[in-house]
Amino acid sequence: MNVRLFLQTLRWQRVRLVVVILAGIAWGVLIPVIYDAFSDVIRDLANSGAFPEEMLNIGSGSLFTLPGSITLGLQHPLALAMLGIFAVGASSTAVAGERARGTLEVLLARPISRTTLYVSVLVALLLIVLVVMSAILGGMVGGATVIGLGDELDTGQLPLVIANGFGLWAAFTTFGLAASVSFDRPGPAVGLSLAWLLIHYFLEILGSLWTDAAWTQEYSLLHHFDPGAILTGTFDPIDLLIVYAVAIVPLVYALLVFPKRDLAAPA
Amino acid sequence: MEAMPSTAVISTRSLTKHYGSVKALTDLTLEVNQGEIFGFLGPNGAGKSTMIRTLLGFLHATHGTASVLGMNISTQSVEIRRQTGYLPGGIALYDSLTGEQVLDYLVELQDREPRRRAELCDRLELPGSVLRRRVRDYSRGMRQKIGVVQALQHDPELAILDEPTEGLDPLMQHAFYRLLDDLRREGRTVFFSSHVLSEVERLCDRVAIIRAGRLMAIHDVAELLARRRRRVMLRWRGAAPDPATLPGLQDVELDGTRIIGTLSGEVAAFVRSIASPNLEDLTIEPASLEEAFLEYYASEDATEPTELETEPR
Repeated sequence: MNVRLFLQTLRWQRVRLVVVILAGIAWGVLIPVIYDAFSDVIRDLANSGAFPEEMLNIGSGSLFTLPGSITLGLQHPLALAMLGIFAVGASSTAVAGERARGTLEVLLARPISRTTLYVSVLVALLLIVLVVMSAILGGMVGGATVIGLGDELDTGQLPLVIANGFGLWAAFTTFGLAASVSFDRPGPAVGLSLAWLLIHYFLEILGSLWTDAAWTQEYSLLHHFDPGAILTGTFDPIDLLIVYAVAIVPLVYALLVFPKRDLAAPA
Repeated sequence: MEAMPSTAVISTRSLTKHYGSVKALTDLTLEVNQGEIFGFLGPNGAGKSTMIRTLLGFLHATHGTASVLGMNISTQSVEIRRQTGYLPGGIALYDSLTGEQVLDYLVELQDREPRRRAELCDRLELPGSVLRRRVRDYSRGMRQKIGVVQALQHDPELAILDEPTEGLDPLMQHAFYRLLDDLRREGRTVFFSSHVLSEVERLCDRVAIIRAGRLMAIHDVAELLARRRRRVMLRWRGAAPDPATLPGLQDVELDGTRIIGTLSGEVAAFVRSIASPNLEDLTIEPASLEEAFLEYYASEDATEPTELETEPR
């Protein structure tokens, strides 16, 4: 890994990162507040039969418990957007963007192997994803504590929540970066990476809303990150294995393909 | 007999790069010696950049081998780039950084001290006030100057420059030429691609001509210039002598007191033959390298015109 390249990658993202961290904390704080304010109303609504229960348990989350709300908050499109900015956006443009601008060859004219470049960028992006994930989760725990719901959370399980969430978003990050090292322009890399995230989101939501298609959730990576299950002690360790296994495949692909690619002069 | 140590800084043997059916580089064999400025000349799309990018490890050769600074381009690319300075053609820089930040960033990645930066910035007229501006505000010429500085600031053993004077104004071009002259005096090696004949003539010790990915010829520039024809105009008081008596003069136009023609071969014999008190005026125009090349190409292949430029764009 090249420390200078790692630091510069962080520097490129610093403004965006600060904004997203603040937004993530705010979003995190909001989740227990919403749960506290509306869970009874929603429960009554569900009991009245006016809404099918599936509509109130979108994805793997639920508004009826605080851990379920945390799952819901982390699978919400807003949380996906905050993490996706880096895991999809920054990763898929990291190398392809430099390539399209023509700055990649200025970088690679230095004594840096492509593997070193890839690893330096990947480690920086993974660190960013970890920080954003921690900020959102920190906001949730902080919010729950402030409004007096801290005892509903088993905080001892938080490292496992972070490890599982990090694995999930590492999988999207390695995919985005693998796409980035494979294309000469950021457009196709971003499109492919975004499609990859949306497919998983679609499978998760489809399965949760339509019981006949519940099996589709198993094929969604998002389904294998359930903080609610971890915090209530019903966590299946296979989820952890699945997200990390899926994260490793694009990583290995990129390490094999990127050094062997021909980097012709940019158009 | 004891073998002489090789002084080749760049050595390629049958270097070939094909993209599918497109033959970007075919069977290219050449050597660039230490301390020389080597011009790599050819029209756009001839394969100049492909050659450079293959030497630096951006492209992988289809066939053949090459070494730079005695190191194999396939296995020691990182170490080659540590000791090399590279200016890409039409260099792109980080627009959001200042010129100084770009230079700092790149030299830190180079992992060598920017020993030459101050001198280069001074000679290329890049004062601190300019370096502190963001690259996005730079003109093309200023970007090119930053490009030259980033390539040479760490005092590399070998400089590989892809069309280095593009975008530089004539004053800066001359400053750049003097810079390369100094590098040569210090024993540094410069490999530079160009399609501008006049700068090759001005700078290079040797020049390789490449066309359609094939090496057409390697010339010693001084020899090429010595071998070329010169345009001659002579005017006599009274009738001009019989042109047949003037050695080396060809394509003669006789106009009473005036003879116009082209001179090839030894100049001294010609000058001796015209020494006469009746000689009123003499003009010998040094044929440009362009003419030398056109002669060369005409004799090699008259059907394919070259696209070489005679003046910097």
